[in-house]
Amino acid sequence: MSTTMLYTICVLGAVGLYLLVRPSRGRTNRERGLTAAGVLLGLGAFAGLLVAAAERVGPPETRPELFFTIFSLIALAAAVRMITHSRPVYSALYFVLVVLASAGLFLLLQAEFMAFALIIVYAGAILITYMFVLMLAQQAPTADDDRGQPEYDLNPREPAAGVIVGFIVLALLSRMALDGTAALDPPPTPVEARQAAWSELEQLPGRVLEHAGSDMRLDAGLPAVEVEPAADGLTAVVRGGGLAEPVTLDTDALPENVQSVGLALVSRFPVSLELAGVILLMAMFGAVILARRQIELTEDETREAAGMRRLGHHDDPAPAGGGPDA
Amino acid sequence: MTPLLALSDPLTPVALAHFLITSGGLFVIGLVGFLTRRNMIVMFLCTELMFQAAALAMIAFGAYHLDPSGQVFVIFILTVAAAEAALALGLVVFLYRRRETLSAEAWSELHE
Repeated sequence: MSTTMLYTICVLGAVGLYLLVRPSRGRTNRERGLTAAGVLLGLGAFAGLLVAAAERVGPPETRPELFFTIFSLIALAAAVRMITHSRPVYSALYFVLVVLASAGLFLLLQAEFMAFALIIVYAGAILITYMFVLMLAQQAPTADDDRGQPEYDLNPREPAAGVIVGFIVLALLSRMALDGTAALDPPPTPVEARQAAWSELEQLPGRVLEHAGSDMRLDAGLPAVEVEPAADGLTAVVRGGGLAEPVTLDTDALPENVQSVGLALVSRFPVSLELAGVILLMAMFGAVILARRQIELTEDETREAAGMRRLGHHDDPAPAGGGPDA
Repeated sequence: MTPLLALSDPLTPVALAHFLITSGGLFVIGLVGFLTRRNMIVMFLCTELMFQAAALAMIAFGAYHLDPSGQVFVIFILTVAAAEAALALGLVVFLYRRRETLSAEAWSELHE
């Protein structure tokens, strides 16, 4: 499939997204037809990009996995609905749907820990914060239809320009993604993957000894173990670590997702982990300072709040503790 | 539970390209939303959507190369997203108190 074809698909997607983003003028049949056309064009663009990927990168008859298609469509549809819905609260709820669908995609990629962390942190924490702020700052809508909605929620700003910019980015991204993945090294074979996993296991002596049936006390310090995988990577022989004789382990002993992520986090990126903590602390300070109520104090009130005497009233008795009420 | 690094069926380049296309689509929808919406809270939600797309791309690359670093980067993305949400929402509450509107255009001029 030629590059021109790829760009044409992106343009179709742009037209579809424009039809969905543009402000709706009443609920006529024509509006409904245009919205349906937008949905169809968007679906067609997504399918076209998937076909283009199969033709450019791999064997052309490759079909996307069923669950991948389902979760991707849910994520993309919810994302479009999120940026087109006129009520911010519904936008936030559609974003929760995007998060759930991407957690499903993460599960397909065997990243179980991140999938559930995503649901807990995004859907559980960040989105609740958004909902609180929305409800604090929302003028109560009166009717079920669009009346009573503030004007800035109903009319998008420059939808045509925004969609054009977005789809230039998409055309470049998809072209880079397709050409780039076509040029990648082939993925590791299952045997190579297992060999790499066994060598990672050497850094986890606790897990090795647990699976080797050692009754060694782990708090006495962990001695080095030596893991020697078989040629097919399905078994490995373990030596050292206080074991009396070599023990053969099967693939059950390989590290699980959480253990791999945890090991990489603390052994390869310890400084970044500390920096992430500092970023969170600074964000907390910033949020507290930004969100507290701003009060203007005169110089006298400031001095009073600090427990000092007022200027120019030397005969006044000192105020009895406590500043002015916020 | 299947261990991460013993994939029975490793990710093929085509599957990786499919995940990257989904990720690019999510990113572009977030970008278009950020450019076209006028409600400050929805604009920040759209930035979260773009974070989400980046996270998906990183996890897909990590699964292709069988390297858990992709997932570690997503942990840092989550951190930055949480910090951004806290700061941005604090800022939005502050701005809402000043003008009683969530419209971003109320602040197109910064001087008072």
